[in-house]
Amino acid sequence: MLADKDRIFTNVYGYQPWNLTAAQARGDWDNTKDILAKGRDAIIDEIKASGLRGRGGAGFPTGMKWSFMPKESKDGRPSFLVINADESEPGSCKDREIIRHDPHKLIEGALVAGFAMGARAAYIYIRGEYIREAETLFAAVQEAYDAGLIGKNASGSGYDFDVFVHRGAGAYICGEETAMIESLEGKKGQPRLKPPFPAGAGLYGCPTTVNNVESIAVAPTIMRRGSAWFSSFGRDNNKGTKLFQISGHVEKPCVVEEAMSIPFRELIEKHCGGIRGGWGNLLAVIPGGSSVPLVPADQIMDAPMDFDGLKEVGSGLGTAAVIVMDKSTDIVRAISRLSAFYKHESCGQCTPCREGTGWMWRMMERLRTGDAAVEEIDMLQQVTKQVEGHTICALGDAAAWPIQGLIRHFRPELERRIAENLREAAE
Amino acid sequence: MGILSKIFTWWDGGTIGTLINSALTGEQVGTDAQGNRYFRSKKPGPLGRERRWVLYNGINDSSRVPAEWHGWLHGAFDDVPESHLPPPKIWEVEYTPNATGTPQAYRPQGALERGGKRAAATGDYEAWAPDS
Amino acid sequence: MPKVTVDGAEIEVPAGATVLQACEAAGKEIPRFCYHERLSIAGNCRMCLVEVKPGPPKPQASCALPATDGQEIRTDSEMVKKAREGVMEFLLINHPLDCPICDQGGECDLQDQSVAYGRGASRYDENKRAVTEKYMGPLIKTVMTRCIHCTRCVRFSEEIAGVDEIGALYRGENMQITTYLERAAQHELSANVIDLCPVGALTSRPYAFEARPWELKKTLSIDVSDAVGSNVRVDSRGREVLRILPRVNDDVNEEWLSDKARYQVDGLTRRRLDKVWIRNKAGKLESANWSEAFSIIAKAKPGSSIAAIAGDLVDCETMFAAKQLVNALGSDLLEGRQTGLDYDVSNLAAVNFNSTFAGIETADVILIVGSQVRWEAPLVNVRLRKAVKNGAKVFVIGPEWETTYPATFLGNDLGILNDLPADLVSSFEKAERPAIVLGGAGLAKGALAPLIGLANKFRLARDGWNGFNVLHMAASRMGGLMLGYKQSAGIKDIIAAHPKVLLALGADEVDFSAFEGSLKVYIGHHGDNGAHAADIILPAAAYTEKDGTYVNTEGRVQYAEKAIFAPGDAREDWTIIRALADTLGVSIGFDSFAELQATMIAEVPALGEEGLVDYGALPSGGGNASGVIEAYPIKDFYMTNPIARASETMQRCSAELLQAGQFAEAAE
Repeated sequence: MLADKDRIFTNVYGYQPWNLTAAQARGDWDNTKDILAKGRDAIIDEIKASGLRGRGGAGFPTGMKWSFMPKESKDGRPSFLVINADESEPGSCKDREIIRHDPHKLIEGALVAGFAMGARAAYIYIRGEYIREAETLFAAVQEAYDAGLIGKNASGSGYDFDVFVHRGAGAYICGEETAMIESLEGKKGQPRLKPPFPAGAGLYGCPTTVNNVESIAVAPTIMRRGSAWFSSFGRDNNKGTKLFQISGHVEKPCVVEEAMSIPFRELIEKHCGGIRGGWGNLLAVIPGGSSVPLVPADQIMDAPMDFDGLKEVGSGLGTAAVIVMDKSTDIVRAISRLSAFYKHESCGQCTPCREGTGWMWRMMERLRTGDAAVEEIDMLQQVTKQVEGHTICALGDAAAWPIQGLIRHFRPELERRIAENLREAAE
Repeated sequence: MGILSKIFTWWDGGTIGTLINSALTGEQVGTDAQGNRYFRSKKPGPLGRERRWVLYNGINDSSRVPAEWHGWLHGAFDDVPESHLPPPKIWEVEYTPNATGTPQAYRPQGALERGGKRAAATGDYEAWAPDS
Repeated sequence: MPKVTVDGAEIEVPAGATVLQACEAAGKEIPRFCYHERLSIAGNCRMCLVEVKPGPPKPQASCALPATDGQEIRTDSEMVKKAREGVMEFLLINHPLDCPICDQGGECDLQDQSVAYGRGASRYDENKRAVTEKYMGPLIKTVMTRCIHCTRCVRFSEEIAGVDEIGALYRGENMQITTYLERAAQHELSANVIDLCPVGALTSRPYAFEARPWELKKTLSIDVSDAVGSNVRVDSRGREVLRILPRVNDDVNEEWLSDKARYQVDGLTRRRLDKVWIRNKAGKLESANWSEAFSIIAKAKPGSSIAAIAGDLVDCETMFAAKQLVNALGSDLLEGRQTGLDYDVSNLAAVNFNSTFAGIETADVILIVGSQVRWEAPLVNVRLRKAVKNGAKVFVIGPEWETTYPATFLGNDLGILNDLPADLVSSFEKAERPAIVLGGAGLAKGALAPLIGLANKFRLARDGWNGFNVLHMAASRMGGLMLGYKQSAGIKDIIAAHPKVLLALGADEVDFSAFEGSLKVYIGHHGDNGAHAADIILPAAAYTEKDGTYVNTEGRVQYAEKAIFAPGDAREDWTIIRALADTLGVSIGFDSFAELQATMIAEVPALGEEGLVDYGALPSGGGNASGVIEAYPIKDFYMTNPIARASETMQRCSAELLQAGQFAEAAE
């Protein structure tokens, strides 16, 4: 179990105020000038050495991502940092806690990261539904400006850096990096084609890096405590600490910071008081937010909660939004509801996702009641394969994977419902 | 209808031979609204099937056989239509024989018999006149 | 020059090419819906998926992927086939199966590609999506249920037309393409989205349910609605032209066509002159036959007192035949500038669009004097917009109009030409390819000579570049000037000569009251101003009904072919003039159309060669400009020529789009 002294987010439960004085008492903004004085390359090297992987779901090494930014502007275009706080994935709620209770970690991180990549400004794109959180963030940014921590000559470092908070309008797709850039530009939130990648031409055509809130917020602490400290947690290639968000059928759902690679059983036992009705009652777990395939109980129990460990059981860490389902769950209905979510949130730009999500949802609805033929399960599997990998952004994949996971692990359940429905119809 | 005309005409009703044959070998099963009489043979014909025929009341025109008797005549069912078919619905229109060749025949729109007014067609144009 | 391998064949493609272009270069057909050569890349239909190595192990959208050295592209693998089938299936699940009642049937990309790349049968059992109809004005008919969301129409109006009129609302399955707020699309190129639409979602409203593409005879022709000379294809069935579509010609109209050129066709069947009319003593027109008309003209004994005025739509052959007749009678009274313009035409290089349409795209500073380019030549406006997108600055002298690109208006007063503003001067001095576009309103105010002076001062004509442009509005203008339809004082010379006989060759913009004593013979195809004023009307052929040569405003000679026959008693113009020559007892040197063309080419060799005419160098000019441009000559874009004025569609457009509110249902 992660010792209290090793926690990065020391106020994630909100026992202390979020404001600047309290944040400084917790160690934020502590001589940020010195961190910046190390220089851009040193910061990027430190982050690279820490093994921090992006906390938004894809798990791309953060230091590497920062290093893609142009070292200096050749044509006068500024660079931008965009911070993705459009946390809309069902199950995820870590960014909310960070912004609610520890916004200064994020703002300081924005300065450190922005300085490291030579960004002129950071845009924090916050989810539209986070109303109080946005208020907190606006106030925190204002505090930081007033204290001279950001703005002209940020923290006395001689570097000019602005932070803008932009509120979204409640579209899941705007959490995709290029759709977020489009939305920031005032256009319809639809993902862009890649290439060009945002590091080459992103926000307003300028080099841009899009990072998750958590990736940015941990950066100052890593800089203070050193990459060796950070990489002392977790297995190889899965270093550091992570905010896990456990929801569903556990005794005490919670958001908790833990070391990476903690076994699932330990995570649940230590922080959530165990599964409701005991471990024998566990049916399945969606370990990384709605867009990763579910894992049945027997495979997940001792799996290490990290990128590679969950990949081995055919799923992914995603945002570490652990959705626990016990045996009272109507698993088909649960996945069908996720399909409805993706159908509703598909942006409608490219064909497979626009047409496929609706089709998949309708078929899932019929499978839920068993009003289908057994062959349709294979057809549904084929349809998910036709969507997966054929779309511009990853939403198509995200819509396909939960269904694939369901068919892989719970096909007998689907067939049982069809047979039952047939029997009922016959009677 | 005089006996004399019956001898010399063949275009309305049965000829004398047919009438005699019908009376001898056939048995009348019914009459339709127009008065056409329907017969069937008492004994099976050369093919081993019962033969059925109609004697028209008036012009010999096979389209005068109404739909329900047409079915019986061609062996679609064996009972007479009155007992085999459901009673006619009130919305059913009266059966009419084929009108082709008669003044009642259908004339398409634009036909000379209907005034010769046709709809505009490809190649038509509106000519200019000075006072337009 | 990256080298790529397409299905095992190695091929070199130009730098910057996409994988799709590389596949095309290798002769492989790549199905596509959203990709269009002249629009930006959207990559959203996903039909063009191919397998590319190196790359992720999934099919890639070839339209958006740059071709790089050493790529191995497969278009025939199982993965690609499956991907295409999958995308095709998705496109079809919500597409109605109403091909039999769809106007796109037979020329539908979705039909063709589903036959070639789709699955044999449908697996979709759920209900299909339906979308409410959208209103896009009198030209575009929408059946949005058929839309496959390729966004070509959206990109066209944003990128080419330059108006944000069409866009997408809602998201996911519920996404709908619409003009925001159900407004009519209101620009001059709106109907091009019909050509762009790969399915039957946007179809032509006037042409709805008229014909199937396989019934139509296709004839290559040239548009006469403006001086651009757009290349068109005339689709006719029997004796009627049913529609006009653009042809691809990168030098002239690219792939676009203005709404007027496309939709004035229904004017070709209305108000047609199909018999001879003679004005009687009471001043009323009476129908007559050809010999009566000819004998009246013969009786007038014109001698050398004959003049010809060419209209805006006539072809070079007609003008040449009339010129031969007039010359044979000993006269030289020929004029084509009907509205009284009298600019100096001693050197045609000074009244030509010298930089060419394709060339103006590369200009970096453009000064427009007295031209409402958007109405006078919508396709030139597209070029100007492209130039601006490439960084050109545009200045306009004349009343303000709604440009589709940023432009600086310098006021109405031409006096500004004598003392140009500093930023214009410095831009001109710095520019590598400066250009001037002079329009009809400027010509009318005598701005030609001062502008030539400016052109010489700023060296607009330099190595490989001539930036001095005059934008005409009549399809016959350059041809007429080349054939000698020019008097030094314009039409005033003709009026002053008091000709006994005046031949009006489709001339409808002339003020005929100035020709009180003349016998006015109108040779034309529409009952318009000319016919109302004429003493004798000889029915002739419209531009779709005769072969002809046209010269557009950039001096490009182009040939049009005859699509259909003229209606009723109407004859091709040259035959009328030939017969008239016999009546008047002169020989004009040809008995057939081929002979006529040969004679014409012998006289003006440039007309014998398709392509740009070389008019030589700019003359010298100068002098002070003065006057105020009050208004532009075109008052109503949709009503500029007799065909358009006769067209119900154009009348409707004019009423609904330009005089919105006054539109009455009675027009139906």
